[in-house]
Amino acid sequence: MNNSNKSVIDTGRKAAVFAACILFLFFIFGCAKQPKVFIKKLKNKNYQLIVNGRPFVVKGVCYNPIPIGKNHEYDWWSDSRKPWLVDGKLMKEMGINAIRLYQVPEDIGKVKTVIRDLYEKYGIRTIIGDWLGFWEYPCPLYGDVKFRERIEKQVLDMVNSLKDEPGVLLWILGNENNYSCIGTVNPWSSEEIDKEPDPQKQKGLRIKTYYSFVNEIAQKIHKIDPNHPVALGNGELAGLEYAKEAAKDVDLVACIIYRGKTFGNLFMSLKATFDKPILLSEFGADCYDAFLKKEDQNMQAFFLESQWRQIYENLAGQKRGAGNCLGGIMFEWTDEWWKHDDSNPDSWNVHDTISNWSNGSYYYDIRAEGNKNMNEEWFGIVSLSKNPDDGLDIRSPRRAYYAIREFWKNPNLNNKKKKAKSK
Amino acid sequence: MIKSNDLECQISNNETFVLIFVILILSFICNLSFDICHSYAEESKPNAAETLTKCICEGKTSQPVCLDELKDLYFKDNKYTDFVGLLKGICPENKTVEPAVNYYIAFARYSQLKYLEDVKNWDEYFAKGNEYRDDIVNCAQAALGATTSKDPLNIYSRLLLYQFHADQQDTFSEASLTELMSAVTGFAQSNGDMEVVRKIADKLIIYNESGKAKELYKIYALKLAGSDIKDAELRNITDKFYKDANLELAETIYDIYIERISKSLSKEKLISELTEVAKRFAYSNNAAADPLYAEKIFKKIEEAGGKESWSEELMYLRGFNLEKAKVFAQAKDVYTEFLKTFPKSSHADEVAYKSGVIFIYVLRDLKSGREYFEQLARKEALSPHVLAGLYQLGLLKQWEGELPAAKEYYNLLLEKMGNSDPDALAVIQERLSEINQGKPLEYNLKLGLDAALKEEFANLNMSKVSLESSRHLPEKGEEVAIHSVTSLGPTGCLQVELQYLWSGDLGITKPAITQSEFKTSYKTPGTKLINMVLVAPEGITDRNIDLIDVH
Repeated sequence: MNNSNKSVIDTGRKAAVFAACILFLFFIFGCAKQPKVFIKKLKNKNYQLIVNGRPFVVKGVCYNPIPIGKNHEYDWWSDSRKPWLVDGKLMKEMGINAIRLYQVPEDIGKVKTVIRDLYEKYGIRTIIGDWLGFWEYPCPLYGDVKFRERIEKQVLDMVNSLKDEPGVLLWILGNENNYSCIGTVNPWSSEEIDKEPDPQKQKGLRIKTYYSFVNEIAQKIHKIDPNHPVALGNGELAGLEYAKEAAKDVDLVACIIYRGKTFGNLFMSLKATFDKPILLSEFGADCYDAFLKKEDQNMQAFFLESQWRQIYENLAGQKRGAGNCLGGIMFEWTDEWWKHDDSNPDSWNVHDTISNWSNGSYYYDIRAEGNKNMNEEWFGIVSLSKNPDDGLDIRSPRRAYYAIREFWKNPNLNNKKKKAKSK
Repeated sequence: MIKSNDLECQISNNETFVLIFVILILSFICNLSFDICHSYAEESKPNAAETLTKCICEGKTSQPVCLDELKDLYFKDNKYTDFVGLLKGICPENKTVEPAVNYYIAFARYSQLKYLEDVKNWDEYFAKGNEYRDDIVNCAQAALGATTSKDPLNIYSRLLLYQFHADQQDTFSEASLTELMSAVTGFAQSNGDMEVVRKIADKLIIYNESGKAKELYKIYALKLAGSDIKDAELRNITDKFYKDANLELAETIYDIYIERISKSLSKEKLISELTEVAKRFAYSNNAAADPLYAEKIFKKIEEAGGKESWSEELMYLRGFNLEKAKVFAQAKDVYTEFLKTFPKSSHADEVAYKSGVIFIYVLRDLKSGREYFEQLARKEALSPHVLAGLYQLGLLKQWEGELPAAKEYYNLLLEKMGNSDPDALAVIQERLSEINQGKPLEYNLKLGLDAALKEEFANLNMSKVSLESSRHLPEKGEEVAIHSVTSLGPTGCLQVELQYLWSGDLGITKPAITQSEFKTSYKTPGTKLINMVLVAPEGITDRNIDLIDVH
């Protein structure tokens, strides 16, 4: 090899190394610029959740593993038997890729353990929520500066502590807090609102006050954590016509919907009122037939399968759906035996069959006495039974577990436009 | 020698044996024939299926009928999969039959899914549901692809797709309805069979798409009226639809019929015809009614004949119909006119009492309402409405705190009533005891009047709660179910604790504040006023009334 050839090769090598460096820098720069989790608006105006560069459909479940005999005050995070490990394994086998926690305890170390265990062992991500003081007594005062500051600090502290956990998927602010603005549940007011004589305008003022509070928190979360979207938790679509102005900085809406077989015109309605992506953050069906007074796992599976079908129809890229759905979170992983009568500890050991509320969309057992057909203690995808060895309550997957697992493997949406191959 | 009597007896015995023998033979034959029939029945399906298959494959004009019969043959035993299996292999050489076969496959799968859901056959539902749904969509679309909107098969395929999506309440239901409507309109314009249009409209009624159904009924009715059909014939067709309780279609054709006769009949005859139609649709306990449509016709009567066109009974019916439709303000206007025109009518007391109730409990006009009750109180002849009016006068005075005046009315009422109604007597004595003991007016009654008359409750407009009674014209002692329907907006799984404060004429029942509905009956005739105030956690939310006329 002569010198001129050597110099050509050297120059080539240098150029190749230089190009590789540039590419590497571009890669690093590109990765650093893109948040870990974000929502992408596609050219067709559909929305897609992107996690680590890939589209992600939330196949989630609400998680609150209260054992038999305990109530909501029970600190399951400190349970040495680590129920989330047993649950995470079952969830992974079903196809679940996210859990939703309504609120985390102050001891963030325990929360991190749960998030890490679920993510590292099973690839399950965690959606973290905050009640925004909804269950405080007296009722939440969203017009009160001190109340707002206290709740805001609580949320931002939580976000600061958890934002770097790789298992975190997104934040949900509030749950069904918008109903408190209507005045029928947990009603609240402020001096300004009380001055308004028209009850309809009062409602409007309350909703604007509440949504602008959520918006302020969302803005602050974005500053400290650009890597995770912030959702506005909302009961149904109630009040969202005000969110367009008052809550424009939230990234998505997380709706709680119990409409029976499907979600009706929910997705299109949202597109028309508040064009943000939607996550069904709580939906499902119970598995107790209040009319026939017996467990009916098939009824639950029937409703859930139908609900998932509509969620899939409205994901980005589907032909005729709204294209604004990011997925769903079923209510809930395990039954909770304390729910019917929280004030009576004896009843926490009994799987109560008395219904607390009525919903005609769940039509199989609507003929139950007083039309009360929704059994709060029977929403689990897995049932609980007492463990004779005093261990963790035994988990038994219900029919819905298998039906939804099969649906996720092969979602059938009946929207093909092809001719039948045979008659 | 056998005596004649013995012989007779022997003969008689022989006859008995013969008779028994004949019966045995007959029953054997009958059994045999039954077995023959039975085995024929067992074999008849394949035979019938073969015959029908042949008919389908030959592609004759009877082909649609044969397909429908073949479907019935399998559907009656819910053999949907067998039917689909048969169709999938049916006359492969005959391509003309393919669209119809595809439609029937889709229809069979649709019916099969409904059947599985009805009988809760969940194993098959979950295992095969997706496959069946694919069949519905793919085969219906294949049928669509091979036909045009001039073909009824195309329309029925679109209907099937709409029904499928509407049942699932999925994203495609709206679009499939639009496509169906556009296809049916095109079909009608191309002079397609109008019975197809009517059938589609009938189906849309079942799916609560009455607006769309009415559009199609109008197309159907206009085609019908545009033909050579005579008025009387048109009327007969309309009557038939009314009798079949297809009110939407009946109303659409009546509109066209009325338009026709308005031009051809004399004023008297026209009013007579309109009266008949109005009576038909006006409120009644039993018959199919549409009080708002009846009022539309009443307006036409007024337009045609002016004030002179009203007989006593017809004007009373108009007011009563409006009152039962809860169009109270208009009912009040008609009742006021009625009392002016027919002051001596047998309905006058009832109408005066109801006018008073409407003024006070609906229109918040205490002064005008009281005038009606005072008119009644001045009457010599007693009627249930005169007594009820007196009670209202006492009650209003008690509510206003004018206790001596209230007591005076109650005492006058006791004097006039005597012992004719022990239950009413007990109520009056309860009111008097409240006054005598310095107790406040019973809470629910007071709140009912507060909500109806006080300025601070002027925002309660009866829009958030309605009251419905199973019968508005019951007999004495007949059970009446009264229920409230609230519409307070969604609250998700956060249940709102509501209280129902019932007052007024509640009959033999005293419903608790937690009861949104109750059953009762009445021992005495007259108009019974039921009053309810709805209380939510934030306070009094709304109120409403209902009026029941006991005979």
